[in-house]
Amino acid sequence: MYQLSSVDKKFPGVHALKSIDFHIKRGEIVGLVGENGAGKSTLMKVIYGAYQPDGGQILIDGKPVHFANPRQAMKRGIGMVFQEQSLIPNLTVMENIFLGYEAQFTRLGVVNWKAMAAAAKKQLAKVKLEIDPATVTSALSFAQRQLVELAKVLTLEERIEGDLVILLDEPTSVLSEEEVKLLFKLVRELTSRASFIFVSHRMDEVMALSDRIYVMKDGQVMDVVAKADADASAIQHKMVGRHVDREYYREQRQKPYDASRTLFEMRDIVLPGRPHKLDLALHPGEVLCLVGTEGSGREAILRTIYGMLAPVSGRFEMKGQELRNFNPRRSVAMGVGYVPRERKVEGIVSGMNVYENITLSQLGRYSRAGVIDVAREKALARDWIRKLSIKAHSEFADCGNLSGGNQQKVVLSKWRSGGSDIMLLDHPTRGLDIGAKEDVYDMIRDMSDDGVGIVLVADTLEEAIGLSHTIVVLKDGAIRQRFDCRPGAKPSLYDLLHHMI
Amino acid sequence: MTMQRIKPHLPWITLLVLTAMVGVVDPNFLRPANLLSLAGDIVPLFIMALGLTFAIYIGGIDLSVQSMANMITVIASIYLASLGAWVAVLCIAAGFGLGMVSGFLTTRLCVPSFISTLAVGGVCFSIAQWLSGNRALNMDAEQRNAVFGWMIGHTGIVPNELFLAAALLALCLFIERRTILGRVLKAVGAGEPAAKASGIDVGRYKMLAFAISGALAAIAGLLFSVKLSGGAPTIANGFLLPAIVAVLVGGTPLTGGVGGVLNTLIGTLIVAVIRASMLYLGVEATQQQMLFGLVLIGAIALTIDRSKLRTVK
Repeated sequence: MYQLSSVDKKFPGVHALKSIDFHIKRGEIVGLVGENGAGKSTLMKVIYGAYQPDGGQILIDGKPVHFANPRQAMKRGIGMVFQEQSLIPNLTVMENIFLGYEAQFTRLGVVNWKAMAAAAKKQLAKVKLEIDPATVTSALSFAQRQLVELAKVLTLEERIEGDLVILLDEPTSVLSEEEVKLLFKLVRELTSRASFIFVSHRMDEVMALSDRIYVMKDGQVMDVVAKADADASAIQHKMVGRHVDREYYREQRQKPYDASRTLFEMRDIVLPGRPHKLDLALHPGEVLCLVGTEGSGREAILRTIYGMLAPVSGRFEMKGQELRNFNPRRSVAMGVGYVPRERKVEGIVSGMNVYENITLSQLGRYSRAGVIDVAREKALARDWIRKLSIKAHSEFADCGNLSGGNQQKVVLSKWRSGGSDIMLLDHPTRGLDIGAKEDVYDMIRDMSDDGVGIVLVADTLEEAIGLSHTIVVLKDGAIRQRFDCRPGAKPSLYDLLHHMI
Repeated sequence: MTMQRIKPHLPWITLLVLTAMVGVVDPNFLRPANLLSLAGDIVPLFIMALGLTFAIYIGGIDLSVQSMANMITVIASIYLASLGAWVAVLCIAAGFGLGMVSGFLTTRLCVPSFISTLAVGGVCFSIAQWLSGNRALNMDAEQRNAVFGWMIGHTGIVPNELFLAAALLALCLFIERRTILGRVLKAVGAGEPAAKASGIDVGRYKMLAFAISGALAAIAGLLFSVKLSGGAPTIANGFLLPAIVAVLVGGTPLTGGVGGVLNTLIGTLIVAVIRASMLYLGVEATQQQMLFGLVLIGAIALTIDRSKLRTVK
């Protein structure tokens, strides 16, 4: 039905897509997997009309077509559900659904809201969302918004003739396990109305949902796997060109931590807006992983340790000293380092070079009377570029131009070079390709060896289990369960999920 | 791609091309004496633009500089008689303090800098009107020469203002390149959230940026009043637009983070050449601001980093 035939796409210096053949049948769910930079997003942009291929053909029902922009693609039934949601938060649900297509409800420029609400209700029914279409979008949960987005794309059904192809870009990245299940059930039911292309980093999800899986690497389709033959490790092998084995999380390097000393201890800590008391301690060499769904309170704990959030009551001792006021400056001075989730926004300053980024948190140490000793800064940067094998042409390289993995290394060296021994890692491997992830895992083990205590919020549960000494499961702001994670005796996914949901 | 590579060099290329163009029309323009006196005349504007650079470097703006300079001409004219050389300290302290106020409003009360500095500028203007009784004031010529004569004389054929300008430029360059303050301001301009997440008390440094802007505007006002041997609440009107043009044409975009005080030097020289060329082309003084308005829009459109702006309102 929809088909790409030897499609090519080149950018200056990059051959992003190399002779891609792709097809999708009516009512089929096709998965698309690959590492970052494998060409997934370029391929999607070609499919929904944002990019025009340099070579090859796009065929619908065997006839070649050409899309100059996404709107033209929509007219032929290609819809996109964006990862970064495209809904406007202060408009109502129905206004969002029919944004740009209000004409059907207007007479003399005046909108018939009743007609629009009725039509919106019909669309929402398709995705089984029972909300008032006049609700302001910002009042919805993230999962609900995603469904509204899907409903918006499904309006194509009435608007065009022919078949629908809907792209889902990482739709599960911020959903809880339960919400993912509901979404998958819905997508399967909707195959009577449309075909789906499903893109995700999570192999298990792609395997669970898709009828066929396209595996991409370096701008090429490496293989097309049918659901029956899908095997996670085989697919991963094709994605990266090597095996991802059990050594992945460096479990063999996990050593017992020093329980005799304590880096920080929270006792009966109550955070603003949460009724629960929290008890938490971190020891040198320990990897303490906070596990829970989005909104379970993991971030709030990190922010408290970093001093951005002050607890309402309770006792917070850091290195034997009770904390009374909370601000990041004090925390940094006490040896807390923070690797934020938004690496490009809070992690590195793009536009500044490697040494400027590395010393940003410790300018006092590289200056006298407010005057910076640039020579020492550069020496420090060169040292860490070598130590962590950061791929930058020199210490003068703009950090904004480094790859994600190397940016993360710069952020880590910023804190490590300053001697931070309490590291807060918020999704440290988010958006990194597998090679860069492994580098981060190695660095985590290195830090443990050096007696650094780490509080980790991991990208996946597997990562949490693989890396941690201790797992604390949070739900609704309360600590539900603790797990001791000695190598060989780690809890299973099921054990954790059981307490999370 | 190529545009990206050329962009950082555009300011000085523009300067050379403009200078050459005017030189072709009138070869006299290129005489060293003429160029030097042209440079000497632009110094008050340069000093003001130098300070403004710090406000723009962090992605803010300081609209109070012109009113600040106005107010300082009045203060200098009034208190020269009683304070002598100490009037300079009073002027700079007033500029620094009022700049701090702008900074406080911006960082602690979260009033956008274009409003907070506009308001502080209003206050300055009003103080000037009140102190002067809305009249033009004159300095005692003898006392002025005794105290501040060194600012405006000549050494050989070089106007003394240029030494003052060079000293201030060197100081600002040192702050920008070699101090913690300069580094933090760069980080704030290029990526404030990351600076905050590195445990830096960003607000303190931002306040200092506005204070420096205020202090340098005050020095500009002081020099201006010494040159004119007097002051008035509207005497420096017409400075604001060229000062902003100088910073932006020099290559420090409104979004901040790149550029700096050296760029402002080139930007100011461009402004000087544009002004001189208008003289040769017979453009009346009353029409100059029209051109500066157009150049400003052009400069902003060329330099602004659109990736930092999601929407503009």
